[in-house]
This record gives sequence, structure tokens and C-alpha cells, in this order.
Amino acid sequence: MIKHSIRLHPLGKELLVNDQTPLIDVLHEFGIEFPCGGKGTCGKCKVRLLAGEVETTVTHQQKLGKFGLSPDWRLACFSQCTSDITLEIEQFNHLILADESEFGFQPQQGYGIAIDLGTTTVVAQLIDLSSAKVLAVETMLNPQVKFGANLISRIQACLDGNSPEITRIIRSATGTMIELMLKKHPVEIHKVILVGNSIMQLIFSNCDVSPLSMYPFKTDNLGMKTFDPEELGWSFQVKDKVKFYPSIGSFVGSDILAGIAATGIHQKENYTALIDLGTNGEIVIGNKNQIVCASTAAGPAFEGASISMGMRAVSGAISSLNLVEEKIEAIVIGNTAPKGICGSALIDAVAILYKMELIGMFGEINSGESQIHLSGKVSLTQKDINEFQLAKAAIAAGLTILAKNLSVELSEIETIYIAGGFGNYINIGNVIATGMIESQEERIHKMGNTALIGAKMFLFSDSTITNAILAKTRHINLEGHPNFQDIYVDKMLL
Amino acid sequence: MEELLEKLLEAVELGKVDFKSPYPPQLKGQDGALELTIKALETGVGPQQILENALVPAMDRVGKKFSENKIFVPQMLMSAKAMGASMLQLKPFFTSGEIKTKGTFIIGTVKGDLHDIGKNLVAMMVEGSGWTVVDLGVDVPSARYIEAVNNHPGAIVALSALLTTTMVNMGEIVSDIKANLSTTKVFIGGAPVNNEFCQKIGADFYAPDPQGVVEYLNRIAS
Repeated sequence: MIKHSIRLHPLGKELLVNDQTPLIDVLHEFGIEFPCGGKGTCGKCKVRLLAGEVETTVTHQQKLGKFGLSPDWRLACFSQCTSDITLEIEQFNHLILADESEFGFQPQQGYGIAIDLGTTTVVAQLIDLSSAKVLAVETMLNPQVKFGANLISRIQACLDGNSPEITRIIRSATGTMIELMLKKHPVEIHKVILVGNSIMQLIFSNCDVSPLSMYPFKTDNLGMKTFDPEELGWSFQVKDKVKFYPSIGSFVGSDILAGIAATGIHQKENYTALIDLGTNGEIVIGNKNQIVCASTAAGPAFEGASISMGMRAVSGAISSLNLVEEKIEAIVIGNTAPKGICGSALIDAVAILYKMELIGMFGEINSGESQIHLSGKVSLTQKDINEFQLAKAAIAAGLTILAKNLSVELSEIETIYIAGGFGNYINIGNVIATGMIESQEERIHKMGNTALIGAKMFLFSDSTITNAILAKTRHINLEGHPNFQDIYVDKMLL
Repeated sequence: MEELLEKLLEAVELGKVDFKSPYPPQLKGQDGALELTIKALETGVGPQQILENALVPAMDRVGKKFSENKIFVPQMLMSAKAMGASMLQLKPFFTSGEIKTKGTFIIGTVKGDLHDIGKNLVAMMVEGSGWTVVDLGVDVPSARYIEAVNNHPGAIVALSALLTTTMVNMGEIVSDIKANLSTTKVFIGGAPVNNEFCQKIGADFYAPDPQGVVEYLNRIAS
């Protein structure tokens, strides 16, 4: 297959991609946001073509005209790579908020690092604090995955005596990511801010995770952790202390705190929700008066881990499925032959198969066979469908119980944000069709990495925002609800 | 009479709890397990017969279908609820001793663990196969299992755990039970557990799904 190179300015990155690869497939890995989810309505993913050719359709040209952009601009969400190109990423000239508004920042001296330490993926950005520009980005797989994919397996690894090693490798990996960025931009770092779920925070901080291994699954050790670079084994200097932001509750961490900051839930008049479709499936509902949050144990289905042909949203994954004239058509990340299916297409698959009456309301395959063919070599098994039902029921039950806790109806929640690694590819109509989120399409907004956006905001603020959020946020134990089992099982239905 | 039992069997198998229940759609407007049980008792069908000729075979079919991935948790739970509605009508006959069960089955989620859906499904299926079930709930320490066996001599004990971090407590509980009550049979189950772990901790039996438990219990009982 023909390959092309994409050079990204100002990151100094060069990528090799297949012919006709959509730019959205390769750019979102670098923390680039597509606030409207690739519909071409927000214009925030605009890139400037510095060298090479990117063809435009009539619709694309109309969109560019609408945003008043000169001919050297492109919308990344409408573009494919058909030759060697160099792009300037306009987005990194401004901090962008998930709700499509820009973050008003106070310019400061020096440079900062924002890190989203996820269970699966780690993303770090180097920020010029005087302009809020992103100068460099690094992403990597969390090296702790060798101890297992989910949080319980990480806790287990600590209990098994691997605690020093599992802490050391993540400190070392984040240090290496920062060093790589400093190699390109040898600057003095003033601040390093990390966010992540509560277990990631405790492990990074070399704290005891055993209270979270069994009943009552509670720790009081939720506060902010600060470090000198030397104690982390980092060989570069940082002017302020390195800060790992505080967790909200025993199973809801600073990544969600950052998500609340990024979406501004704590300032909204009307009820607003944030759903992170990851393994822990955290959900937040609130407004300026009160916020409740919970983790839902959605399991790894949305990240592909418990699905027979599941994979993360990387090259070769089917990112979406469409029903075209009674036939299922697949869109594959990186424009290659499909190797598997990622979370967004799993949602599409179940919604489409149900619509085609190939599966019933209990998720049963109507033909009685054990699997259904989707595209290429990729199929979905009966067990995969059941895994999806468990995951979507966890989210739907979580939303229901949190809303009950606030005595609001789901229909009263004005805006619902979806965050998560594959958020850009999600078809909201299908999310609703599966019953995962019981709301209307126009109220649901897809976003990328709200944890990283929030962490960047924290670089420009003191602890006022986080204290204000923490003061009005309550952590709810969903399974403690007397009707949890009935609600959860009911939400498994399609 | 035969027809009533057959209808009851179908209602439980398909999860029709009572007349007003919307599930399953194909039985809409028909009597559910509740009404059918009352009618059966009124027409003089023996409670033991209702149990053995309707509830037990219905739950056996449900367990087999679940085990073969033909149905999923929601249908199984609906069937269990339908069975529960019927059982409630039979309760006086259990209390009076008119219905003989196959034995007593004590079940609980182990110390440190709160997850109970899997445990509940096993409890319902075992009850539906004609055993008396004593459900100890969640976060159950050794002492409570032992106390329950002392109250129900000869009972079988089953331990459930969902997490790798809590399944380790099974080993301790099995040892405690065996040390106090050496002849008591202990079963284990749950997502992270397997047969190898069962043997390692000295438990007597492991099953990957509720049907496996029911089939083994029936072998013991016969």
C-alpha cells in the first residue's frame, strides 16, 4: 500500500500513514480535540497546509468559507492524506475547552507540563505558559499494563509485592516523556501537573492501595500529592513542586476533577453530565449547586478488552459501522483492512443488528447461531453482545441512580458530555438506540480528553477551582442503592 | 391439571411473573406464575407436584439455556422472579414440612466482597432445583458460614467472589470451615475462580455457571 508522511508543526513529529488515511485518525492521538466530533460544525480542528496537497470537496470548501479561512486551511475532520504533507496545528495555539469555548488564561512566566495518567494510555503536553500554546506532545501505553489491563489487576500486583516496581516504571515512563519533549524544546520547566484515577495516583505516589482491594473499598488518602523531581527519579529540574491532583472519592480520581473543570459543570445553572466511557465508566451529574459522581465498573468492553475481536481505537480497528441499503459498511481507522472492532463500532454494531432484527431485546442472536459477521474477517459473538450489554447497563444504571440521587429526571439534564479515547468516533444516535444514554441527540456532545484539558487549565490556576469543585461534589456508591440489581439488569435490555 | 402445570412451567421458563407483567411480550394478557400457582393449589394439585413437575423442570431448562449462551442475565432473572412468585404461594407447605426439599444449600459472597448478582443467580437456580437455600448476603466471614451450618446440619456451603483481590479470602474460609466441620462440602464460584484454584485451597467443587452447581447437587442428592 502507498504510504505518505505527515509532518506536524510545531510538534516536530513525522508520521507515516497509508494512502487516504483520514487526518482525524492520526491527529487525535496527539491530544488534538474534535469538539463537534467530526461534523465540520465547529471549525476547531482547522490545520494549515504548509506543504503538499490535501484535496477538498465542495462541502469542505463551503465549510472553510463559512469560517472565513483562506485557501491554505483545511478542516482535519474532513481531510484525507493523499500525498506527503506538512501541517501546522492551529489548535495548539490556544487552549480549547471541551464545550467549544476557549479557556481564558492569565499569561504566566515559563513552561508547564500537563499529564493525563490513564490506566491504559498516558498523554503529556509541554505548554508555553505565556501564550498557552502546546509546544510538544508525547503519548504512550501505560507500562503498568504488563501487570494487567484493569485497576483491580494493578491493585492485585501491588498486593503481590510488586508495589515498588509498578510505582518505579510509571515514574520513569512519565520522566522519559518529559525528557523527550525537552529534547525538542530545551526550556526550564516551572510546573508539572498530573491527573489520573485514584488508583493511578496512589501507585504513582507510592501509597498503600490495599484499602481499595476489598470491602469497604475506601481510602481517606485522597489529597493532592507533591514531589521533588529527584524523589521521582527524574533528572531534570522543575521550579515548583510536581503535583498529582486530588481524587474526588475512592474510585473517582483527579482525571474526573479535571473533566468537571474542563466542562464547567460546577458553574452551570442547569444540570449537566459528563460520562467517561473507559473501563471505570465514571459519571458526573451536577450544576453550580451540587455535583454527584460515581464509577460504574463498565468493564473493558468499550476499550475492546473483553470482546473477542475487540481492540483500542488504533490503526486497523473498525471505528464505525453504517447501515447502507440494508448492508453493513465498515469504516476502518488508518484506511486498512479491518483487524478488529473498537468501542464506538461495538455500539454501532449492536444498534444496527437490533434495528435489522438480527438480535432481539435481550441481545439474543435470533438465528440461534453463535456469531454474526460484520466486515472482512471481523465478527461479533453472542458473548461479545452480552459483554456490551453489561457495559452499557453499567453506564445506564449509573446515570439513573445518580439522577435519582439528585431527584432529577434524566430528561432534565440539559447537556451530556461523552469523554473517552474513542469519543470522536461515537455515533450518538446509536448510543441512544442501545439505551445506554436515555436522552435526545442534540443534548449529547462528544469530546476527547477532558482530563488533559482540565490538567492544562490547572497549570494556569491556583487551587481555587479544585477546592470549589471538591466542596460541592459527592461520591456515590452505586451498588449501595437498594434497587441496584433490578435497575442494572433492566438496563441490559436493548 | 396437567395443563395448569404445563402453563406454569412455561410461565416460569419464559419469565412471566404475573398477569400484569409486560414480559415476555408473547405471553401478554395471560396468567403468570403467581395466578397459575394459586389456581393449581385451588384445583387440588399437590404443592410437591407443583415444585417437581413445573418449577424444577422450568428452571432446569433456564439453567441449560443460560449455560449454552442462549439466554442472558435479564431473562434468567425474570424466570427467577416468576419462580419466586410461585414459591411465595408454596411457602406455607415448606414451613409445614409438606414439601420435602433435597437438602439445604448455604451461600454467601465472601468477606471483603460486595458483589452479589452472580451469587443471587446461583441461589435462585438452586432453589428452583428443589433445595432449601439460606442466603447469608455479602461480606460474609468464616464464623457466619460455620454458624449457618450448625443451624442446618448436613448443609452444603457455597462461597462466591468477583474480584481477584477478594477470592484469596476463600482459602481462609474453606480452611476455617473444614477445621470446624470436617465433613461439610464447600463449593466455590465467581468470575476469577477456576478448578485449579478450587483444588489449591481444598474446596470440594467448582462450577463455571449456575447450571453446573445444580447438576452436581442433583448428582449428590440422587
